[in-house]
Amino acid sequence: MKNSLKTRLLIYFLISMIIIVFSMSFVLINSLKLQEIADRRFEDEQFLQELQSYLIDIQLPLKSYLTSYSSSSLAKLLFLIETLNESVPVIRPITADNSVLIKREIYFLIDSYLIKLNQIIEEKRGRKVLQYIASYEKLNSLYVYISSRIDDFSLFGFRTQLEEYRSFIELFRRIQIYGLLQILLATAFAFSILMQTINNIASPMYQLSLMAGKLSGGSFDIPDIHFNSVDEVNQVTEAFNNMKHNIHHNIEELKKQKEMEQQIMTEKVRNLKMEQLLKRMELYTMQAQMNPHFLFNTINTGVQLAIVEDADRTAEYMENLAALFRYNIKEKQFFVSLRHEMEGLESYYNILKIRFPKTLNLVLNVQNDLLDRFNCPAMIIQPLVENSVLHAFSKKDGIGTIIVAVRFEDPLLLISVSDDGVGIPPEIISELLTPHTHDYKLSSRVMGLENVIQRCYFFYPDQKDIIDIRSNHDSGTEIIIKIHTEVTPCIRL
Amino acid sequence: MLQSPFLSEESTESTEELKFHYAFFLPAEDNSFFSRLREGAIAAASSIDCAVTFHPIDSNPLSFEMARFSGFDGFGLYLYEEDEKKLQFLSEIVKEKIPIVQIENEVIQDPGSFFIGTNNFDIGKGIGQLALETGLDNFSMVLIYSKKNPGVMSDRNLVEMGIKSVLKEKLSDLKTEETSLNPLDAGMLAYDLLSKEPAIDFIVLTDPNDTLVTVQTIIDMNLVGMVQIIGFGEHETIKAYIEKGVILGSIIRNPYQIGFSAVIALKEISLNGYTSAYVDTGITILTRQDQ
Repeated sequence: MKNSLKTRLLIYFLISMIIIVFSMSFVLINSLKLQEIADRRFEDEQFLQELQSYLIDIQLPLKSYLTSYSSSSLAKLLFLIETLNESVPVIRPITADNSVLIKREIYFLIDSYLIKLNQIIEEKRGRKVLQYIASYEKLNSLYVYISSRIDDFSLFGFRTQLEEYRSFIELFRRIQIYGLLQILLATAFAFSILMQTINNIASPMYQLSLMAGKLSGGSFDIPDIHFNSVDEVNQVTEAFNNMKHNIHHNIEELKKQKEMEQQIMTEKVRNLKMEQLLKRMELYTMQAQMNPHFLFNTINTGVQLAIVEDADRTAEYMENLAALFRYNIKEKQFFVSLRHEMEGLESYYNILKIRFPKTLNLVLNVQNDLLDRFNCPAMIIQPLVENSVLHAFSKKDGIGTIIVAVRFEDPLLLISVSDDGVGIPPEIISELLTPHTHDYKLSSRVMGLENVIQRCYFFYPDQKDIIDIRSNHDSGTEIIIKIHTEVTPCIRL
Repeated sequence: MLQSPFLSEESTESTEELKFHYAFFLPAEDNSFFSRLREGAIAAASSIDCAVTFHPIDSNPLSFEMARFSGFDGFGLYLYEEDEKKLQFLSEIVKEKIPIVQIENEVIQDPGSFFIGTNNFDIGKGIGQLALETGLDNFSMVLIYSKKNPGVMSDRNLVEMGIKSVLKEKLSDLKTEETSLNPLDAGMLAYDLLSKEPAIDFIVLTDPNDTLVTVQTIIDMNLVGMVQIIGFGEHETIKAYIEKGVILGSIIRNPYQIGFSAVIALKEISLNGYTSAYVDTGITILTRQDQ
């Protein structure tokens, strides 16, 4: 509370008032003192004039008494003598002040005068005519001298006062200047304190407005502000700092919440993509299954017809074809054992041998121990072989060779399908190896090679080199699927 | 720039109480001798707890007459004339047993009165010694007293005796003259003397003002070097004349010391009832060699 604006203003007001009262008192006291000094000067003169008037008053009854022996004159004379005697001060100090010395001299002269006066009265009573006449002459001389000394004192006083008048005026002027100076100082003091107080309030307010501006601009890293001002301003400043901290804290919380929401949204989107992919996969499967179902039934009819007509090769062919389709249709899992995949491929191989007995040479180079050791995505080898059959040799004469090889190079399981066909143009390879996004439009080419590649990317999203296509014009193509045996595919069914 | 009004007031009035009040009765002339004497007395009074006042001894006879009634604790008197009335007043003061110090002039001999000042015989001897320094064998001298410096004039015979005691038979002639309070009459006197009596080769003066005026007359008469001058006092112009050789030398008393010693003596009498019966403040002879 001591530092509050109200208390401060009250203290400043009181200090200013005290200074002004002090300065006014200073002028007043000094003026009164000067008046007292002046009065004292005149007081001395008035007193001596009073003594002189007693001396003058004595003259008439003295003469009357000496000339007529009047008892009334004597009574008056004695009364005046007593009055004068009582009036003359007993204490007569000696100082270096000339006026004091003259006064002292006058008092002693009056003492002598009164002694002589009493002596004359006694001489008169004793009728010593010659003596009191002679004494009267001396007394008169003394009276004249006393009067002249009182006049001297008045003259000396007047001269002194004349000399002092200037210093008196100078003194008074000095007192007034002192008073004026004090008032000016008090005013300056009050003004400086007022300005300091205003500055104490205005400066923090200005700083606060600047800080508020920065805060409104989103800058919350500004340091706390502290002022040594009045309590009210200090409290506002503290509240402002607290407000800044709270806003900062709340905004940080909001940011964290938003980030979390963003993460959730990202997760949702990712899940959505996953769902879309799954749906697309299902669609692929459905599309892949539509025709085979119809064909499977048809082929079964064909097998029965071939058996009825004793066409064994046809029956074998149709049986292999049926086995292939059965594999394709019945297989609902995404991953199958390598053996299972190879069995499907063998059915297809048998068909191809019948279809292309003299133009196609299919070589299976698979280590038997690997077949039950590893799994692989279902339906990935046969489409690759089919792709070679369909595209590698269409513009090439002679026997085409397709080699399917499976080997294990720890930790990679390498499934390779190579041919010695016309090869695949680089731009097609590039297009094929581009992972599809969820908004990829299905085309007629989803079947076969592209289907396999995209499924590999899907199952192993973090393994960008899951599939490799090496192809040269007219030199053949090798498609290698590199399955990292220690990596778990993103989905397993 | 500014001074406290309280301090200022204090400075205008001394209120310190003192023990004794001594009155000095001096001739009214305002020459350097009495000015210095007053200064010495005031200095002594301020150094001890005394107050001094100065009164005219001749211009206001009533003042001296009434002095014994005025409550003074002691008197410093410069009585250069043996006036009947003054002697009467003085004897009345003596009767009252008020301490008295007679300055320069001892007009009454009384156990209650004491002398302070210069021995005029010594002044005469100083003049004689100065004259001897010229190496002359014969001196025709004029000694000019002055009312401006009555102290020397009061015991004039002592001065003359002092001169004679030094110069003896070499002093062929010693005339004495006297100037008034007129500041220029010494010039007129010197002119008359030198015009009428060309044999005079020495003029001795007993007042600083008379010395300056006489020197000016000698210069005007083109007699510098032909008439030797022995001056009085230590005025700057006198010193300059001594340095130039216009004045042979100057007799200097010490009025400051006289005034100072007078007050000290009065206090001693007030306290103890006695002091040294005779205080000689001495003289100084100022010559060209001292410059």
